[in-house]
Amino acid sequence: MKSTVAFILCVASVSGSLMAQGGAIVLRGATIYPVGSAPIENGTLVIEGGKITAIGDSQTPAPADARAIVCDADWVITPGLIDAGTSLSISAKNSNEQAKEVTPHMRILDAVEAGHRAFEKARNNGVTAVQINPGNANVIGGLGAVVKTWGGTTQEMLIKDASALRVTLGREPGSGNSRSGTQHNIYYRRPSTRMGTIWEVRKAFYDAMSYRDQKTIPGDAGPPPIDPGKEVLLQVLDGTLTVHTTARGEEDIRTALRIADEFGYRTVIQGGIEIWQVIDQVVDAQATVIFAPPSLNGANPDGAEGRSHTMNMMAERGVPFAIQTDSSLGERPLAHEAMVAMRNGLSFDKALASVTLVPAQVLGINDTVGTLEPGKNADLVVWSGAPFDPTSSALMVFIDGNQVVGPKTN
Amino acid sequence: MNSKIAVLGALLAGSLPSQGTLAIKAGRLIPISGQELQNATVLIENGKIKAVGTDIEVPWDAKIIDASDMVVMPTYVTAHTTAGFRTGNENLANIPYITVADGIDPANAYFEESLRNGVGTIHVIQGNQTLFGGQGMILKPYGKTIEEMAVRSRSGLKLSLAPAAGSRMAQIQKMRRGLEDIVEYIADHERKRQEFEREKAAGATSDESFDEEMDPLKKPMVDVLQGNEKAYFYIPSAVELAEARRLIAKYDLDVVLVLGPRCHQAVESLAQSGIPVILDATMEYETTDSETEVVSSHCPAALFTKAGKEYALSLSTSANTMNRYPWWQMATAMRNGVTREQALASLTIVPARILGLEDDVGTLEPGKAANLQILTGDPLKATSWVETVILDGEVVYERDRDGRLRHLFGKDRADRQSVKN
Repeated sequence: MKSTVAFILCVASVSGSLMAQGGAIVLRGATIYPVGSAPIENGTLVIEGGKITAIGDSQTPAPADARAIVCDADWVITPGLIDAGTSLSISAKNSNEQAKEVTPHMRILDAVEAGHRAFEKARNNGVTAVQINPGNANVIGGLGAVVKTWGGTTQEMLIKDASALRVTLGREPGSGNSRSGTQHNIYYRRPSTRMGTIWEVRKAFYDAMSYRDQKTIPGDAGPPPIDPGKEVLLQVLDGTLTVHTTARGEEDIRTALRIADEFGYRTVIQGGIEIWQVIDQVVDAQATVIFAPPSLNGANPDGAEGRSHTMNMMAERGVPFAIQTDSSLGERPLAHEAMVAMRNGLSFDKALASVTLVPAQVLGINDTVGTLEPGKNADLVVWSGAPFDPTSSALMVFIDGNQVVGPKTN
Repeated sequence: MNSKIAVLGALLAGSLPSQGTLAIKAGRLIPISGQELQNATVLIENGKIKAVGTDIEVPWDAKIIDASDMVVMPTYVTAHTTAGFRTGNENLANIPYITVADGIDPANAYFEESLRNGVGTIHVIQGNQTLFGGQGMILKPYGKTIEEMAVRSRSGLKLSLAPAAGSRMAQIQKMRRGLEDIVEYIADHERKRQEFEREKAAGATSDESFDEEMDPLKKPMVDVLQGNEKAYFYIPSAVELAEARRLIAKYDLDVVLVLGPRCHQAVESLAQSGIPVILDATMEYETTDSETEVVSSHCPAALFTKAGKEYALSLSTSANTMNRYPWWQMATAMRNGVTREQALASLTIVPARILGLEDDVGTLEPGKAANLQILTGDPLKATSWVETVILDGEVVYERDRDGRLRHLFGKDRADRQSVKN
């Protein structure tokens, strides 16, 4: 029991990749978009020991024994893309623990299938890291995990376990509950309304708070037995664990911010389809958004009404946002979502940041990935042309210096 | 939330006269029929293209559309779709006598979406869940009535080998039997005619000529078998190809093959044939080996190109897929190795040829219908939008008057507040 608790308390255990290769590689000739610094034409990028060791112009030296990859002049190198919201490899049946509506201690990492085809698809489309979330059928679904898209086991892939706690507002958590539509049968479960969903969140945090009180000042019966779920919620209240609240409609976005404020924790808005209606509140709350997915221009989950200019609006108002695909099988390439964002008016720089640096920051992994700079992991994509152009594709993908895709030729 | 908009501004209400002369100054012109031109002019008179080039003299009284910072090219041609009406399928096996003209709704959002995407010529035909299906028609996605929209009121007949109730063998057998029935019917009719001629020669009848008309329910299929009507022959997969080709040869059918989504295995066999093909809107797909689970990717468009055979691309009619965009479909072909020129042709001049409209649409050449689109940038860029569509010399779409786009981009917010309850 003790050891279980210790493991649960060990939030955000950051594991180094086990697969760093020794052989040096040098990529020459392509345009490099490092993100966060100026693009380099006819650039050079050196990889040693799975890390980027140098990046610069054509004169940048490389170790004599480095494997040289000579790129065409119209090829482009970007950081590996990071998808901040997915359920990659998780089937619908495996994503929601149906025992309760509030399951903060469920860990999605236990359900991730390392060899799943979805990771290969993601890699082929230039995605090198993803957050995998528990499903949206529970009000508090559990703990997500951030993994690389390559590795033999989930431990090898793991960047960050317990990356965030997923909370889902709106009708989705209740949608499966009234199976035969009436409240008078044994299958009926709470919540069944938006109000009920929000009450479940509140109740969970109130319960966690009284649990903390009992622990702090034990009564005659002594301290309460360890409750793993409440321990997770206490981390949220202590500010050591971030909440990712799925809120699509404007009322849910407002509620997500209000509840976070009420209990004094920080939340990232996930989904955020109707942010265009409540942009002022989002700006005021200094919230970060995992926006998803841009290709759903009109009709959206949970009846939310999307607008094509929402990301432009967030960019103008200084709301940091990452783009997610929300896909489970890798069916929607992240680069396509960035392409749609650009079609709708987002600048290339913003689009690129929203699938590299910003998601790295949101997930707290930007010390190792998200940009191309010396010392960071050699996670990068070589594109056949302008990234996010419909005629471009990922020719080569590197994760920790390993060439995991390509070279592809047409 | 989820407030449904009751009133959206009037859409697509441009009304430049199709009479008189119209000159379009193009920054870049992609005629499809030849090299791209910089700073070219398209001269339009009475709905037709009169001249295209860089040294065109514009009449003093011509109306001028300045697209000098834009790209001008022909509108796209959709060679096959089952959209534009409420129910694309009658779900009956033998209905060659029905026509889509009776089912098309000119106000259907599909037509509006077509203009938004730069599509100017559409072949609408009934769905594939049939055996001898209905008659299609070719139309432009603009007009209040089917008559205004019509380009060709009859395009051909849908024949389909899509297995009804899951039985491929039964469907093929019904197709054989159905065709044989028509052959017998034609022979029977001919026998009666000859009998009449004999009677007439013998003075046994006072009638001047043989006047037994063919059964109108069978006549469309008779036309197909007598070579007077084109058949749009759907095969759902490569499996049906062999039988389809046998039937086409046996009855000498004038056929366009409409391929289902998984037809990569049909490429080799079709490459050498003269049969025109229309590809499915699903252009990339994977197959998995049932034993080894090894996954293979396929792109029939790229395979056909490699085999040297042209084809028409299709556009999806589903709202939530990229496949509905012409630029995406062409780019997909290009990502798989098809050249830019081939990709552009497969949504313009090739489908025009397949529909027998190559003298009217598909390129910007003198004498053809003035069907063109003005884009904000290169047609293969995701960031390019169709700014204006001109059909038969008439401006029928302007992006800044597109109610749906104004709505999606929040430009109608003021209107929206006033209609919100």
